Amino acid sequence: MSKVVEISPTTRHEGHSKLVLKVNDAGIIEKGNWCSITPVRGVEKLAVGKTPEQVPKIASRVCGICPIAHNLAGTEAMEASIKCEIPNDAKLLRHILQLANRAHSIALHNILLLPDYYIPGTETKINPFTPEEPVRSVAKRIQRIREIGQTIGQIAAGDCIHPRNTRVGGMYRNVSEQAKTKMYDLAKEGLTLAHQQAEFMIAVIRNYHNRDFVDVGGMKVPMPKTLGYHNQGYLATHAFYGSSSLDECPSWDIRRFKEARPYDWYMGEMEVTLEEPKYPIGGTTKLGTKTNPQMEACTGIPMYDGQPVEVGPRARLVTYKNYDEKGTAGQNIARQMEYQDCFYEMIDCLDELNPNGKVVADYIPDGDGSLGWASNEAPRGTDVHIARVKDWKVQYYSMLVPTTWNFATCSAALTGAPWQLAEVIMRGYDPCVSCATHMIVVDEENRLVAQKLIQ
Amino acid sequence: MGAELGKYKSCVSARTTDKEILKFSQDGGIVTSLFGFALDTGIIDGAIVAANKEFYEKNPSKCILDNSNFEMIEPWRPIPAVVNTKAELLAAAGTKYNISPNVALLKEATRAFGLDKIGIVGTPCQMQAVRKAQLYPIGFRDVGASIALAVGIFCMENFPYQGILQLVEDHAAMKLDAVKKMEIGKGKFWVYGKRGQVVSLPLKVTHKYEQPGCHVCLDYVANLGDISTGSVGSPDGWSTVFVRSKIGDSVWAKAMAAGVFETQPIEKVKPGLELVTKLANEKITKNKKTLEGRATFGVGKALRNPYI
Repeated sequence: MSKVVEISPTTRHEGHSKLVLKVNDAGIIEKGNWCSITPVRGVEKLAVGKTPEQVPKIASRVCGICPIAHNLAGTEAMEASIKCEIPNDAKLLRHILQLANRAHSIALHNILLLPDYYIPGTETKINPFTPEEPVRSVAKRIQRIREIGQTIGQIAAGDCIHPRNTRVGGMYRNVSEQAKTKMYDLAKEGLTLAHQQAEFMIAVIRNYHNRDFVDVGGMKVPMPKTLGYHNQGYLATHAFYGSSSLDECPSWDIRRFKEARPYDWYMGEMEVTLEEPKYPIGGTTKLGTKTNPQMEACTGIPMYDGQPVEVGPRARLVTYKNYDEKGTAGQNIARQMEYQDCFYEMIDCLDELNPNGKVVADYIPDGDGSLGWASNEAPRGTDVHIARVKDWKVQYYSMLVPTTWNFATCSAALTGAPWQLAEVIMRGYDPCVSCATHMIVVDEENRLVAQKLIQ
Repeated sequence: MGAELGKYKSCVSARTTDKEILKFSQDGGIVTSLFGFALDTGIIDGAIVAANKEFYEKNPSKCILDNSNFEMIEPWRPIPAVVNTKAELLAAAGTKYNISPNVALLKEATRAFGLDKIGIVGTPCQMQAVRKAQLYPIGFRDVGASIALAVGIFCMENFPYQGILQLVEDHAAMKLDAVKKMEIGKGKFWVYGKRGQVVSLPLKVTHKYEQPGCHVCLDYVANLGDISTGSVGSPDGWSTVFVRSKIGDSVWAKAMAAGVFETQPIEKVKPGLELVTKLANEKITKNKKTLEGRATFGVGKALRNPYI
């Protein structure tokens, strides 16, 4: 007889979401729904009528961890719509910004993941904030990687959170020779640290997944070898940067994309029939609480060929390198494997960057209303922004955010896992839920769902 | 002396020992020499100064980004720039009696310019702004710790560009293009032409061109600079220098040890500190009246007093 358990809110990721899980008597998930409960901001509607310079800056505010992804995707979507090619040095600065942000983001996710894991060879779970070794050195290294990433980002882009140097047509200004040297020095330091951190994290991840049992809130939970497995397939548009409708061979096909309301993919109204007060932290939702994922989910469900897909580090490694490790372990390891290229590729870009090169396109058209799209391979996956610009006003704007792509995929990946490990599966997607919840969802009576929730 | 001169560790009359700088400098060449020395010795890795449009034409990437009027021909309009060499400092040397928004370049100096140790020159209000940015870094993330040397210049009031334009081209009947140097001293506004002409206007004439916002300022000698300097109090060709902070003291001592400046005790020179104090008090008294007037100006609501 199935029981329903709800974990709300989920922790150690960006934003607010919850897990509603139908489990069997052995506690194994038969069907799981992971849904966003972050309130809607309505950025896509705000954008209509604004100028194409304003919209990427508004879109950037969707998130404080990955503003770069939205700023770049938004700017490039505008450039794609007006058909504006930017100078090479501006491209290089954007690439440097992208890679710097990715380094900081992977490091941040390390902190969020570590409390699940054990110090290899012991039964001690890792507390990233402890002053004791060996963890303290790891924490310092993580913070230094983040500092390096954010400093390089703010040199290239004016500010590491909400970049201000990017503009439609390129960048507002190039960097000085001194700034290039500073970024180079930091990148070299970051590369050494990235190697060390990737090695440490992979060892810790493997150690965790090789165990037969893990501890969750004092409960001994079996660790399945197929934790987080799914066969929804992958979507990626570039090894580290992105693509756009201006490319000779765009790597995303808008005709294969569809979006559905969560009604199609989520479970309907249920009552919580399983409660576990020991579940960290604060226990699961109380018995008898009504829950309705179909109505409460605050994101749309984007699909490629009619099915949700996985986006993110593993998707990129699978698409471009035939990476073949599945499940939550495979995802997290793929993410660590992206550490080094943050700096290798950045060093290549710095080598090529000419501080005296122009960074603004000579001609920036006003736009004729054509549809343009641009994808940015954010740390969490493919971020596609779609825009129409006519006479320097935005007529249409849509954001298909990585975590939005992943919500239904992760839901599928929950099946077969012990329910206590559902959050571990979810964290493999490095969710950024605020990013995912930016659009208005309308219910069958065409009322705004967000409004209904507030009432 | 009272609070009108701010806090200072020492005060001297000084002049640079570099004859080349003296050709371009306003008075003693203090700012140019200090920044030149600081750049050479690695105390700073770039200085924000008031350059001009000629400099902008040759080095646009070193200047502030502002698309408003760079195509217009505007001789003597100051353009904030980040400079790194003696040649660039010389190109930016000399007082422009105009508002130069140096603080607007401060954050960018730590970003696209990649500086870690910034030198900045500015008027008393700009020194106040720099210190505020260090104490309350809203919009100035990671900037405060990068200020390695802030040099303040004496200031009674500043003028908008159009004010100087009219003073020089109408009142003094000279083309701005033909002006080699401008100076305020001995109660007059002096304009020196490139071909040797000298025109002076009584200061009274300049009063209506002053920037109105200056009339609330109670700081004549840049109380908040690491080092503050100006011509008042020292003989022609020399400058009065106040060394104020630990940073200022350290830099000045090093510069003195390296023979960058020759100095005279301020007590020995004419007109001396008495004149500086007199003018400082005049400014403070005059502007305090503006502040008091503002308290009852407007529809039942006082205009802001920046000092409370």
